[in-house]
Amino acid sequence: MAWAGMGLMALVAAGIVLTGLPAFLILLTAATAGAALAVIGGTVPVSLLGALPARLINLLENDLLQALPLYVLMGVLLDRLHIGDALFRVSLRLLPRGAAAPVVSGLGLGALLGPMNGSVGASVLSLSRALEPRLRASGVPLPLRTAAIAVASTLGVVVPPSLVLILLGDAMLSAHTIAVTTTGRADRVINTQDVFHGALAPAGLFFAAALAVAWLASRNVPLHEPVEAREPITRRDILLAVVAVLALVLLLGGVATGFIFPVEGAASGACALLIAGLLTGRLRWPVLGPALAEVMAITGTLFALLIGATSLTLVLHLLGTARLIGDWLVGLPGGELTVVATVLAIIGLSAFVLDAFEIIFVVVPIVLPPLLVRVADARWVAVLVLLTLQTSFLLPPFGYALMMLRGTLKQAVPLGPLVRALAPFLIAQWTVLAVVFAMPSIVHLGEPPGDRLRTAPTLVSPQDIDKRLQEMIAPPPDITSPDLRP
Amino acid sequence: MILSRVIRVLDGLIAGIMSFGRLLALPVVLLLFLQWPLRDLVQAYSREANDLGQWLFALYVAMAVTAATRARTHLATDLIARGYTAPTRELLVRAAALIGVLPWAAFVIIAGKSIVVSSVLARETFPDTTNPGYFVVKLALWVLAGLMVAQGLVDLFRPSHEGET
Repeated sequence: MAWAGMGLMALVAAGIVLTGLPAFLILLTAATAGAALAVIGGTVPVSLLGALPARLINLLENDLLQALPLYVLMGVLLDRLHIGDALFRVSLRLLPRGAAAPVVSGLGLGALLGPMNGSVGASVLSLSRALEPRLRASGVPLPLRTAAIAVASTLGVVVPPSLVLILLGDAMLSAHTIAVTTTGRADRVINTQDVFHGALAPAGLFFAAALAVAWLASRNVPLHEPVEAREPITRRDILLAVVAVLALVLLLGGVATGFIFPVEGAASGACALLIAGLLTGRLRWPVLGPALAEVMAITGTLFALLIGATSLTLVLHLLGTARLIGDWLVGLPGGELTVVATVLAIIGLSAFVLDAFEIIFVVVPIVLPPLLVRVADARWVAVLVLLTLQTSFLLPPFGYALMMLRGTLKQAVPLGPLVRALAPFLIAQWTVLAVVFAMPSIVHLGEPPGDRLRTAPTLVSPQDIDKRLQEMIAPPPDITSPDLRP
Repeated sequence: MILSRVIRVLDGLIAGIMSFGRLLALPVVLLLFLQWPLRDLVQAYSREANDLGQWLFALYVAMAVTAATRARTHLATDLIARGYTAPTRELLVRAAALIGVLPWAAFVIIAGKSIVVSSVLARETFPDTTNPGYFVVKLALWVLAGLMVAQGLVDLFRPSHEGET
C-alpha cells in the first residue's frame, strides 16, 4: 500500500489544479479516501486512525502556532489603519522621481509586511490590493507590476522572522532530531533561531538584488504622474511612517535575533497597533468589527491547511509511503549534493501546487529526516529549502504566486512579457540559490565557533540507520497511548 | 421545505457563533502580550495568562476554520476551474462536503470521544501548572469538528440559488 500513498499525493496535486477547490478540502478528501481504502483493504486497523484526534489537539495547543492569528492581526491592522499606505507614499517621496520609485517602494513594503502575512497566498491577496492600483496609476506596465508584486509576495518566504520560517524551524527541529537520533551524530539539534540566522544573509542578498533589478527594469518606463505626487504628504504621514518602520524593524529584528519570543513579539505589535488605532480614533467598531472577521477568516485559512496536512501525513505514514520515500532517499547513490538536489527538486515540484505551509506540514516531515541522515548541516538544508520554495513560487507559468496573482488581478497577463519581466528577478534568485548551494558557510555567518557540534558520524551500519529511521518516522507516536491501542 | 428551514436556522446559528468568535482575538492578543510584563516585571501570573490565552486560542482557531469556509478565503488554485460553469463548481463543492469534510469531521468526533469526554468530566487541568481549563483545549476539537459538520451540511443542502454568507 506504500505506493498507493504516492498515488494519493499525485491525486492531491491533480485535485488542487483541476477542481479549483480549496487545497485543505482536497487534503481532507484525500486523507479520508486513503484511510478508507487502507481500512477496507485490511492494511491499516481502524484503531490506528484514532491517533488523528490527538494530533489535532497538538495543533490546538501548539505554542508556536499562537503567533499565527497575532501576525495576521498585525498585518490586517497595518492595512486598515492605512499604515502601509503611508509607508508607500513616504517612500515614494524619498526616492528620486521616476517609474522605478513605485516598484522599489512596493518591494520594500513587501519585505516589511511579508513576514506578517502568513503565507504566499495571503501576501498575494494583501499586496495586490495595496500595490496594484498604485503601480498601475504610476504607469508601470502590467507584466512588470505583476512580476514586482509576485516577487514582493514571496519575500515573506525568506525574510525572517516570517511565519514560514517559524514553522519551518519547528519542522526542521523534528526532522533533525530524528536524523541525529538515527545516526548517533553529536550535532546540536537545529532550532527556529538557527533558521532565522541562516536565512538573514541570503535574504538580504536577494532583497538587495531584487531592488537593483526593479530599479534597472523600470528606469526606462515612461513616467506617469503618480497619484501620490498629487496628494500632499502631511507631517502626520511622515511621523506615522517613521514610527511604523522603527517599530516593525525593532520588533521583527528582535524576534529574528532571538531577543524577543515570536508569540510575545507578535502580541506586543498587535497590542500596540490596537491601542494606537483606538487612541487616534481610526479603529472604531465599524472598522474593528470587519477587521476582526478578516483576521479570523485568514487564521482559519492557514489553520485549515495545517489540519488537512496533518490528516494526510498520518495516512501516508500508516500506508508506509513515508518509509518508502525514506528508504529511497537513504539509499540514493551519489554524495551530499546529489541527495540535496533530489530533495530540493521534490520540494520545488510540490511548490507548483502547494503553498509553503502545506509543503512544510506534508512534504518536509517525509523527505527531510532521511535527507538529514545523509547531510549533517541542517541550517544549510533549511535555507536551501526556503530559497527553492521561493523560486518555485515564481517560476512561470505554474508558479504558485503567479497563478494566485493572475487569479487575483482578474486581468490576463500575456506569458511572454511576464517571463521577460520576471527573468531578471529569477536570475537574481537563482544566483543567490547557487551561492548558498556552493558556499554553505554563508548561512553560518556570525555563528560562534563550536556552536554546531559536527563530529564525524559514529559507526552505525546502513541496516541500523534504516531500522532506526523506520522506527522514528513510521508509526505516529500517539498510537501508543493506552486509549488508542487496538 | 422543512429541510431548507433547518438549514437556514443552522446557517444563522453558525453566523452567530462566528460573530462572537471573532471577538476572542482581542483577549487572546491581550493575554499573550501580558505574559511578557507579568513574567519580567510583576514576576507573577505569567503562566496563568499563558494558560488562559492557550485555551481561548484553541477555541478561536477551532471556530476560525469554519469562518474561513464562510468567507471563502481558503486558498485555491483557480487557473483551470475558473472556466467551469457555476453548476459544475457548485457540484464540486457539494461533492467535497459529502465525501471529504463530513466523513472526516464525523470520524474526528467519534474517534475523539474518549479523549474529550474524559477530559471534560475530569475538568482536566494544565499538566505543567495545574491551572484549570485544559479540558477546554480538548473540547475545542469537538467545536472544530462540530462546526465543520454543521457548515458541511449547510453547503450540501443549501438551495442552489442561495449565495454563501
